[in-house]
Amino acid sequence: MKRHAVAVSNYITAFIIIISLNFLLPRLMPGNPLQAIYGEEALIAMTPELKAELISRFGLDKSLCEQFFNYLMNLCQGDLGYSYYYNAPVFEVILGALPWTILLVGAALVLSTTLGAVLGVEAGWRRGRAGDKVLLAGLMVLNGFPDFFIGMLLLLIFGVMLNILPLSGAVSPYANLTGVALLWDIFKHLLLPLSALTLAGITGSFLLTRNTMIGVLRSPFVLTARAKGLSPAAIRYRHAGRNSLLPVVTRAGVMAGRMATGVLFVEMVFSYPGLGHLVNTALTARDYPVLQGVFLVITVSVLTINLFTDILYTRLDPRVSYAY
Amino acid sequence: MLEIHDLRVAYGNKNILNGIDLSIRQGETLAVIGESGVGKTTLGLCIAGLVQGKVSGQVLFQGMDLLKLSEQDLNKMRWNRFSLVLQNVENVLNPVMTIIKQVTEPIVEHGIRKKKYAVEKAVEVLSRAGVPSSRYEAYPHQLSGGERQRAMIAMALANDPEFIILDEPTASLDTLTRLEILKLLREVGRDRALLVITHDISAAAKLGDNIAVLYGGKLLEKGPAKEILTAPCHPYTRGLLRSYPNMTTVKDLQGIKGRLEIPQKGCCFYPRCTQAVDICREEHPPIARKGECYLACHRGGIVPLLQLKDINVNYGPVAAVKGANIKVYEGETMAMVGESGSGKSSLAYSIMGITKSFSGSIYLDGSKVKKRSKEFFRRVQMVFQNPAESISHRHNVLQAVREPLDIQNLGCDGERKEKVRRALDEVQLSSDDEFLSQYPYHLSGGEVQRVAVARALILKPAVIVADEPTSALDASVQAKVLKLLMELQQNRGLGILFITHDIALARKISDRITVMQAGEIVEEGPAERLITRPGHSYTRALLEAAPDMDFIEQEQNGVDLRESSLSSCSFLAKN
Repeated sequence: MKRHAVAVSNYITAFIIIISLNFLLPRLMPGNPLQAIYGEEALIAMTPELKAELISRFGLDKSLCEQFFNYLMNLCQGDLGYSYYYNAPVFEVILGALPWTILLVGAALVLSTTLGAVLGVEAGWRRGRAGDKVLLAGLMVLNGFPDFFIGMLLLLIFGVMLNILPLSGAVSPYANLTGVALLWDIFKHLLLPLSALTLAGITGSFLLTRNTMIGVLRSPFVLTARAKGLSPAAIRYRHAGRNSLLPVVTRAGVMAGRMATGVLFVEMVFSYPGLGHLVNTALTARDYPVLQGVFLVITVSVLTINLFTDILYTRLDPRVSYAY
Repeated sequence: MLEIHDLRVAYGNKNILNGIDLSIRQGETLAVIGESGVGKTTLGLCIAGLVQGKVSGQVLFQGMDLLKLSEQDLNKMRWNRFSLVLQNVENVLNPVMTIIKQVTEPIVEHGIRKKKYAVEKAVEVLSRAGVPSSRYEAYPHQLSGGERQRAMIAMALANDPEFIILDEPTASLDTLTRLEILKLLREVGRDRALLVITHDISAAAKLGDNIAVLYGGKLLEKGPAKEILTAPCHPYTRGLLRSYPNMTTVKDLQGIKGRLEIPQKGCCFYPRCTQAVDICREEHPPIARKGECYLACHRGGIVPLLQLKDINVNYGPVAAVKGANIKVYEGETMAMVGESGSGKSSLAYSIMGITKSFSGSIYLDGSKVKKRSKEFFRRVQMVFQNPAESISHRHNVLQAVREPLDIQNLGCDGERKEKVRRALDEVQLSSDDEFLSQYPYHLSGGEVQRVAVARALILKPAVIVADEPTSALDASVQAKVLKLLMELQQNRGLGILFITHDIALARKISDRITVMQAGEIVEEGPAERLITRPGHSYTRALLEAAPDMDFIEQEQNGVDLRESSLSSCSFLAKN
């Protein structure tokens, strides 16, 4: 229990630091905090009344401590600020985009990691033989293509030439679908961006698993497993495979954070209304409150995912339970 | 049950096993001993079909050639008919599976029992192997070394195989755990055949019905455990036994010269063998029957260098030696122990031909010595008791040590001087010109005796007859001189007939001891046997008189217990 307490307190510390940074950064920038938050143009367009209201709302006339306290209180109420571009609270804007990204990135992460791991286990087992060489060469070539390029290729082939899958968006607009039809529609829209992301991410976990697998196959316990007369599949997955998983899980945790923003290109190509798309729009419109909100959401989710990875570790490898 | 014929394993160009022939009968235990890197583990893995290299020969398991089986057929045999206990190293068990799961696994995988019943069986074998029940659900890293070894033995028993291969089952265990594991293995081996691969010779002695000695991928010797361990024929086996610290043998530890290097041709052991001859460099000897054992050695095992048969020495009416029979083997020390006047020196003199009044025959290298030719003295040299007297005071160190070369007329002046320097180096004396020009009376007792030893060694003799060579020296110098002789024995195979009245000293340096009383040999045997279980009352008397370091107070039936450390014992305080 004490170990868990240490782990959790680590995460709490990290979280407090992140929140403080998110609070301090705009206030540390040269010039007016409002200017930093909203940009010069927005400030010029503002009426003095609005400006005064904003100043009192952010508590800019109060001490830094009080401001921080207010900021925290607002956060607790889900108040992340107000987006002028969308003319809506930042929280709502992000909430509209977040589920799509979670769906896309989550599915892509799970798929690319699983597929990469399975292929890696098989290739590592067959090291140096034809199957391994083909997989290695094929995936290395695939690794050369950026995800948006794969996305464009897929879009061209399946969307434009074959015309069997939708070109953009996450659902068909104004179709008012419900139930299974809605799910099918979501799935059809998801398929192409998901494939692009999965294909782009597969090589990393493949290479990692394959290399770990080659090392693990030399371990004495694999010899023990062989001596026990187990089936090759049992040796491959139950004994060698499971012991090769740890670095792959670590990588998946790291990738989760990266993909939340790295998904931007793919979401642009498919006009998929996720966080990446939102960030892009906010960047071009200099919608700082949204960017700041997205930053907070992503850091918090990366922390959460890391926590989950840590917990998953202990389930995968009993030796890790003391490794905090 | 298991018969191996001409088994060869090679990884690339590297031959690991070069033609092994072995057999294990039902219910029998065979121990394979040898240093690390001689192919022991490969042998075990090869039987189970687990080596990657090129394998040839036959491994007949109940008449079925395991090497010819397909991987699938072999998988059906593995663990059901024979199982392995691999060397207990880190990660020999899957680190992410609990012990009970790993023991259950082969039962379920081979379709012997359904999972529920398999767990019952796993619990049964685990408790039989003495794994505490609290450890069943533990992971391998949570187990101690001994517990892990037990778990592995339990796992090997899971499918009731008829044959188990154990690789170093006692390595890296503390002595108490080791003893328990040995007990367990003896019990396990009662109704099944075991192949125990080990460098732990005591484990081999305790478990093995038979022992095979492996070196350079070849068997050098095999036979009943008792024969191999009490009377090893091969110099390698003798070397292994000598370098193994244990509570039975009494001689100081000695190693085997050189390092593990297998030559391209010839006997695989010849570079480290002290009795190698020309043929040993040419071809590997075939393994052939010798008594109850099988031996691979061109020389027919450790050769006797010097043999004395029915030696009688008479000085007028006084019989100094009566019918003595003694053998000195290559690389061995034979100590002759007895009080002054028991005829030890007379026997030595008769060997060297110093006294003429003796009868009986002396054999050197197997052939009878007719006259003491120069050849004889090139093979046999003597170190006398009193160095100050045995070196002429008219000779300086150079002349004294050089004299044998002068007599044998070997080499030119320069070469002789060079040899003298080397001989002095060998006995750890200075070899500069200043020392060479010293006279015996300039030197200390220890130095003079070492000069005498150098003189005896300069001809590189096979046998040294040493008559009380250290009795004139103080203990620390004596220790130095003896260490030197032991080292020469290890590296050169020097046979030593060591005459001493000090059985405590004999115990430390000799392989065998002869006890002489009033001209008669009353007892002869391996040093450890003679010391621990003396047969003759005279030997017992010598042993009782031998110096020890026990305190007198304790010897007097412990009257002074209050002063001893036992006084703190609560048991004694109550009584």
